[in-house]
Amino acid sequence: MISVATIGSCKHDGSVIGRTVLASRAIVIVTAGCGVLLAAAVLPFKAQAVDHTLGETIFGGTAGVLFLGAGVVAHLRRPDNNVGLLMVLVGLGWFAEDLQFTRLPVTYTAGAMLYAASGGFIAHLVVAFPDGRLSTRGQRWLVGAAYATAFGLSPLQVVFVDPLFYDQEHPPNLLLVWPGHPMEEVFVSVLGVIGAVLSAAVVVVLARRWLSASGPRRRVLAPVLLTSLIGGLGLMIHSALEYTDLSPHIWMLVYRVSFCVLPLAFLAGLLRVRLGRAGVAALLVELQRPLSASDLRDRLATALGDQSLQIGYWRPGAGRLVDAQGLALDPPSPDSGRVVTNVDREGRRVAGLIHDAAVCEDEHVLRAVTAAAGLTLDNQRLTAEIRAQLGEVHASRARIVAAVTEERRRVERDLHDGVQQGLVAAAIGVRAVAQRLGPSGDEEIRTLLRVCGEGIDTALADLRALARGLHPAILSEDGLVAALTALIERTPVAVELDVTPVPRLPAPIESTAYLVVAEALTNTMKHAGAGYVWVSVAHQDRCLRVEVRDDGAGGADPNGSGLLGLADRVRALDGELVIRSEPAQGTTVTASLPWSGV
Amino acid sequence: MTIRVVLADDAVLIRTAIGALLRQYDFHIVAEAGDRRSLWEAIVATEPDVAIVDVRMPPNNRLDGLEAALEIRSAYPGIGTLVLSQYLESRYLTTLLGENARGVGYLLKERVSGANTFVDALNRVAAGGCAIDPEVVSLMLASRRRDDPLHRLTAREREVLALMAEGRSNQAIAQRLRLTPKTVESHISSIFLGLDLPPEPDNHRRVLAVLAYLRHPTDREQSQ
Repeated sequence: MISVATIGSCKHDGSVIGRTVLASRAIVIVTAGCGVLLAAAVLPFKAQAVDHTLGETIFGGTAGVLFLGAGVVAHLRRPDNNVGLLMVLVGLGWFAEDLQFTRLPVTYTAGAMLYAASGGFIAHLVVAFPDGRLSTRGQRWLVGAAYATAFGLSPLQVVFVDPLFYDQEHPPNLLLVWPGHPMEEVFVSVLGVIGAVLSAAVVVVLARRWLSASGPRRRVLAPVLLTSLIGGLGLMIHSALEYTDLSPHIWMLVYRVSFCVLPLAFLAGLLRVRLGRAGVAALLVELQRPLSASDLRDRLATALGDQSLQIGYWRPGAGRLVDAQGLALDPPSPDSGRVVTNVDREGRRVAGLIHDAAVCEDEHVLRAVTAAAGLTLDNQRLTAEIRAQLGEVHASRARIVAAVTEERRRVERDLHDGVQQGLVAAAIGVRAVAQRLGPSGDEEIRTLLRVCGEGIDTALADLRALARGLHPAILSEDGLVAALTALIERTPVAVELDVTPVPRLPAPIESTAYLVVAEALTNTMKHAGAGYVWVSVAHQDRCLRVEVRDDGAGGADPNGSGLLGLADRVRALDGELVIRSEPAQGTTVTASLPWSGV
Repeated sequence: MTIRVVLADDAVLIRTAIGALLRQYDFHIVAEAGDRRSLWEAIVATEPDVAIVDVRMPPNNRLDGLEAALEIRSAYPGIGTLVLSQYLESRYLTTLLGENARGVGYLLKERVSGANTFVDALNRVAAGGCAIDPEVVSLMLASRRRDDPLHRLTAREREVLALMAEGRSNQAIAQRLRLTPKTVESHISSIFLGLDLPPEPDNHRRVLAVLAYLRHPTDREQSQ
């Protein structure tokens, strides 16, 4: 319900009616002063009145003074919030009602007219709490109606009331017109009905506000609602039991005590001072220990009383907030009821706390919490930043491997489609010429042509070997197992191949696995002098595993040969390359490449 | 009688070169095709004696030629298919041969430039025989385990075995190795005995048996 400034932070929307803070302070204090004077003036009369006990007088005086005092405190602590002024006015109106106990005809008549004065202010106060503003048109109509009833309709009753009827020594009603008119009863009933309807409407407004309120908001409203509920119940039970023998007075006491507590409840809801400060003290102790990101969030949320709190870490590069995993966090929209509070350290923006706007009410607590958490948040910001960067590096490495694989495949294709075809045609051409020449042709020419043809054949054989080494076509066409089968076929050493069914995998993975096996086999043949090689391919638990084991000399240098370059490739794909080579125990090369499918 | 040939390769350069070569040897090129679909149309339209098909062709440029050859073999068993490939894989050989070795060939494209070899293979395939590229055969013969029975064969027997695997008839083998047909036959029986294979009188089945045997170890390990 708070409409915050459009940049979504805790700015108080200055709703003071155009005056400066000092001026409004003066007005409130003066009004409260008038209230106190008025109280001093009327209370003695009230005490002397026939049908009022001392208890009632004390109750009335205490309640009114509490409203005045609490209203002043509230206004001094929250000058931009009208609640303070309204509470003072309630107190003023409260004592104005007691003017009817005075002995001067003028004051008595005024008091008779103002006998419902506090009602209008109470309605306004309750509906406007805790922002001090009436935000919807319905609310404004309701409060307007309450004021109209209190100051417009109720005073009209004065024309019917004749106090001299009951008490000859009573000051007369100066505005008496129709004493004892039957209209009086009607009028009173109508007023009663209007009062009940307005009260019910106020209750409905409160109920809806409670139901749509967030956690922090409810904590603000709770004291007032609770007190009002208890007081209201007390009053109702008292009325119900009034004409029975079941000691209704205790309920009246309940009502009166709650009514006196009410201004304090308003004050507590408005200030939330004690609750907040205790939370900060506890937080400071807990920040001594190392906290994970989610722990910190929980502690801050508890200290601020808002479980919907989100912590965003500031990434200067991207100019926005990211969460603990490095993913972007969107700022809350203006009408979502949530705001961002920035956490700065040494002039740098470190983090942002996204929380319910109601938390802004307790500025001191908010500032204390953000300051306390600043260092911890800074550390976590760095962690989040590094994670985000690592994520980018990771992604780019995988892209590079994919690009390299594709490049090799493309070159093989180009060789195949371009160069090889051309050479074959050339070889055919040369042989055709030799053929044309016939057996009777020039011996030298025939020799030249023969040499030429053999040269081209050699070139073709070399090209084939090159293309195969680059990226064997069968790998693209038939997958890893087929390519390894073909590779092993061409290996002079006896190789046993052990496969479990393997689905087609993305090209970078198949290519890398193939190259690992090819390189391992080359090493085996070059160095190990092995008699037996065993190659296994398995796909299990979302991971492709190729292993090459030989019974050769062992003692291979894991950092030597092409296996080192392949290790980088394997790691770029999130995999692992392990080489175990003990002297005289053979060599085992294992590559695991994770693949989650799709 | 001139042999009628359909020539399918997506490289115009190759088609031209092979075409010129074949015309020198009195083959009749009845149609040319650059992709799978036009190959099929040409076969249907002309029903040649033999089709020369490149393995890699449009539209997919993967194994379209091989698949087209299989289609032709099943729909027109009378038409010989000679498959040319720029690289040889024993795996594709098995796929191509399938159940029978009648009227089929698998050659490395380079082989075309050795005119005599090529023409001889083409004649064999057109006549319903079988022509497997010697390089594929030697590849399969070479990759052997230590305890392989092939080691028990004599060098001469291995030569005979290789030629058998290429799909040549006893006559062709005898001619090639300058032996009498009788000698060739006795070599062949001892080969089959030595490898523990049942004798196959039929030429075509013989090729299959030998090739199957040669591929056997790798086949066994593949649980595909």
